[in-house]
Amino acid sequence: MSLTPANDIVGKNNGRGLTGLLLVAIPVFLVGWMIIWPIISAIGRTIWLPNEGGGRSFSLETYGFFFTDQYSLNNLGVTLWTTGVCAVLLVLICLPIALYLRFAKGRLAAYVQGLAIFPMFVPSIILSYAIIRVLGPNGTVDLLLNAMHLPKIRSPYLTPWGPVIGLVWDNIPLTVLILLSGLGNVSNQSIEAARDVGAGRLAVLWHIILPRISNSILVAVSFTVLGIFSAFTLPYVLGPAAPEMMGPFMQRTFRDLNDPTNAITQAVIAFCFCIVFGLFYVRSVAKNRSA
Amino acid sequence: MARVLIERRIDWYGIFFAALLTLVIVFPLIVVGTWAFTNVWRFPSVIPQEFGIKYWQMTLARADVWSSITLSLSLSTVVTLLSALICLPAAYAFARLDFPGRNILFFSFLAGHAFPKFGLLVAIAGIFLQLNLIGTFWGVVLIQLVGTLLFMIWIPVAAFQAVDRRMEEAARDVGASPMRVFWSITLPQAGPTIAAAILLSFVGTFYETEGAWLIGAPQIRTLPVLMISFINNQPVIQFGAVLSVLLWVPSFIALLFARRVISSGSFARGFGA
Amino acid sequence: MSVLDINNVTKRFSTTTAVDEFNLTVGDGELVCLLGPSGSGKSTLLRMIGGFETPTSGHVTIDGEDVTRVPPEKRPTGMVFQSHALWTHMNVFKNLAFGLKLRRLPEAEIRRKVEAVLELVGLGGFGHRATNQLSGGQQQRVALARSLVLEPKILLLDEPFASLDQHLRERLREEVRDIQQRLKITTLFVTHGQDEALSMADRIVVMRDGRMEQVAAPDVLYREPQTPFVAGFIGTMNLIEGNVSGGQFSRAGFSQPLPIADGPAVLAVRPEALSIQPSSNVDGPRIHRVTDYGAHAIIDLELPDGFRLKATVRDARAWTNVRAATLTPQAFAAYRDNAVVYRSGTSA
Repeated sequence: MSLTPANDIVGKNNGRGLTGLLLVAIPVFLVGWMIIWPIISAIGRTIWLPNEGGGRSFSLETYGFFFTDQYSLNNLGVTLWTTGVCAVLLVLICLPIALYLRFAKGRLAAYVQGLAIFPMFVPSIILSYAIIRVLGPNGTVDLLLNAMHLPKIRSPYLTPWGPVIGLVWDNIPLTVLILLSGLGNVSNQSIEAARDVGAGRLAVLWHIILPRISNSILVAVSFTVLGIFSAFTLPYVLGPAAPEMMGPFMQRTFRDLNDPTNAITQAVIAFCFCIVFGLFYVRSVAKNRSA
Repeated sequence: MARVLIERRIDWYGIFFAALLTLVIVFPLIVVGTWAFTNVWRFPSVIPQEFGIKYWQMTLARADVWSSITLSLSLSTVVTLLSALICLPAAYAFARLDFPGRNILFFSFLAGHAFPKFGLLVAIAGIFLQLNLIGTFWGVVLIQLVGTLLFMIWIPVAAFQAVDRRMEEAARDVGASPMRVFWSITLPQAGPTIAAAILLSFVGTFYETEGAWLIGAPQIRTLPVLMISFINNQPVIQFGAVLSVLLWVPSFIALLFARRVISSGSFARGFGA
Repeated sequence: MSVLDINNVTKRFSTTTAVDEFNLTVGDGELVCLLGPSGSGKSTLLRMIGGFETPTSGHVTIDGEDVTRVPPEKRPTGMVFQSHALWTHMNVFKNLAFGLKLRRLPEAEIRRKVEAVLELVGLGGFGHRATNQLSGGQQQRVALARSLVLEPKILLLDEPFASLDQHLRERLREEVRDIQQRLKITTLFVTHGQDEALSMADRIVVMRDGRMEQVAAPDVLYREPQTPFVAGFIGTMNLIEGNVSGGQFSRAGFSQPLPIADGPAVLAVRPEALSIQPSSNVDGPRIHRVTDYGAHAIIDLELPDGFRLKATVRDARAWTNVRAATLTPQAFAAYRDNAVVYRSGTSA
């Protein structure tokens, strides 16, 4: 789909430009007021801090605090670690599923596709609860191991691996859909042609399929990074109290410590870490849409 | 040659993925479902000692559960209606009218997805703090409304654009005014997709946790927010399980109606694939 | 009595002129075909008559009434689209009844009219069908019926058979022609297929780059094309570019007496009007290929400079071992500066 030139049914009419602008005015205003303005304001408020004279002056004090405070740095570290691990795991898990779905037909494939998309319909809060019940202390896995006279597992609940498991689970559907959509651009003929000249399965994957879908992989990774970097619910419920991921950290700073300035500083730092992925994501969506 | 790739007599990969995904995705949910209908399940029994619906009665007798359900439903309804009211005309304008800045405004809705979401919420909360919107119903409505914009504009735009222009022209040709064409031809044609978008936005709002938690709590306690406090502070396991099953009902409805839209390529393309 | 008048109509888009000062009158009950390659402006012209585009300048009148700026819903025109454009969320009956309902006709009369017109297009009893249960030909018939049921003064058809297969196309154009003659409805028909135009039209307008190249009855158009473009577009034509000197047209190895002034000219000969005799002179026109069609054969000839010509002969077998030929045009025309300057057998 693309935003094709709108040639109205009855041709050009000068009043239409204004009508169109009026119709889109409210949503556009909301974007400006609730997305663009808060970001600009967030940057402004964290670098122009109130001074003793009652006015505001330029200062990087809150950023200085964040990058010298060991606790903040640990939180940032665990966030980067979680994001990286999740992105790698998601590609490793979802690429084979997407490849299978691209070339398989029939009822089994439909079942696999249904399951891969299913987590989209499971809100993360139910997921958190389910993971606690299954992998938590004395959870179902422990029950089963115990019944087989095996030792209990070391539960990932309240360790950094808890959020990783939850976030990967939660992001499988969109990653599979994005990769599958990319694989849709690889024609059967191009694969048949490659096999015809003697390429084996691995060679086809490496030389034909991967180059064609590298962009989709990057989009999937960007999307995952943007979603996971500041994830809140899953890390809040499943993760350790310290170090905590940026999402819970910001929430706690904002609400529990009642310190909006430092919370917003953390938000701006999160923006900076994700800016590359955000720009890449917007660029490829825009490119795709106007193609 | 392709047959080698596509058809195998026994689909081992399929069996492997189906088994793995069943174990990883379906199994945990079955466990939750089992807990919801369990009266007694003590370690180390593999199956519950006593099934029953005792905890359904106890959960549904709680005042905080009922007020959360009412609040969540009214919140989602208000947000979805407002969103449809402002987004559908805008979507029609993007799909069919020409106006200055049309492309850049269309892509501006991506802005909300180009930043880490919780960071953005904190930045918005900073502004709401000055406007005294923290802890209010309308503060939560606003923040959830912004979350629906991209979906409620992009999916309907695709739906409107997919309506064959000639169908509309044919209707003009037999004597229908532009308004009549919209009601009798364009809207019914785009209807199913738009309905799916509205349903998805309702369900998405119903489950929205982070905005409600940051902006609304503790005064505005939606069902997911209540669920978080159940998980953190409630020693009775079954309360969470019963609430999970209750919470999942809208999802189930969405699953029934919106699956085709989601499996279609246009949905994934909305995410930049 | 419905007469369509197109008066000096021009349509410019931002960079191109789609229709350029076009004039045409379509008489009552006449079927006129707009024929031309894609991009020649024929569809734009039709859409201006239907009201879907507004002319940059000029006027469209129907029965003397200026409709140039009247929106499509208020025009007495009915349009059949290439993609049939049926409303897929309505069944056949509702598709046909929609326009009548807008005119607030009583229910019983709507029913009667819809059934009558369905009968007319050979789809009696199909009213309850969903549009996607119909074949391509049936869908196009419903689209035609949808326009006819409103009894438009002018029927507009925009390449209505383009998406159908050859066999169906031939059948439908006979049906449409029959219906049109029965109802005596003034019709404008856009096509890029010359067969369609030749078999259906009272008159054909050949369009090129937004202008009218020639308008004439089909037989006249075939036999007396006014420009080399028309000559080449309708049927098969050998268009030989050459030079005239001292009353003799010539081009590498081929010459023909041509009593016009000296200078460049284009000689146009139909394959069936080019008679050829076997020759042993391999420095003249040579036989390149013989294609046997049974009842006749086409011989491809090549002049020494590489220029290719076609000629029709009765019997392919007589030509199997022949390598060269002499050419004698039996009937031909000559063009200079895009206009006819000579036509054999007449005193043009």
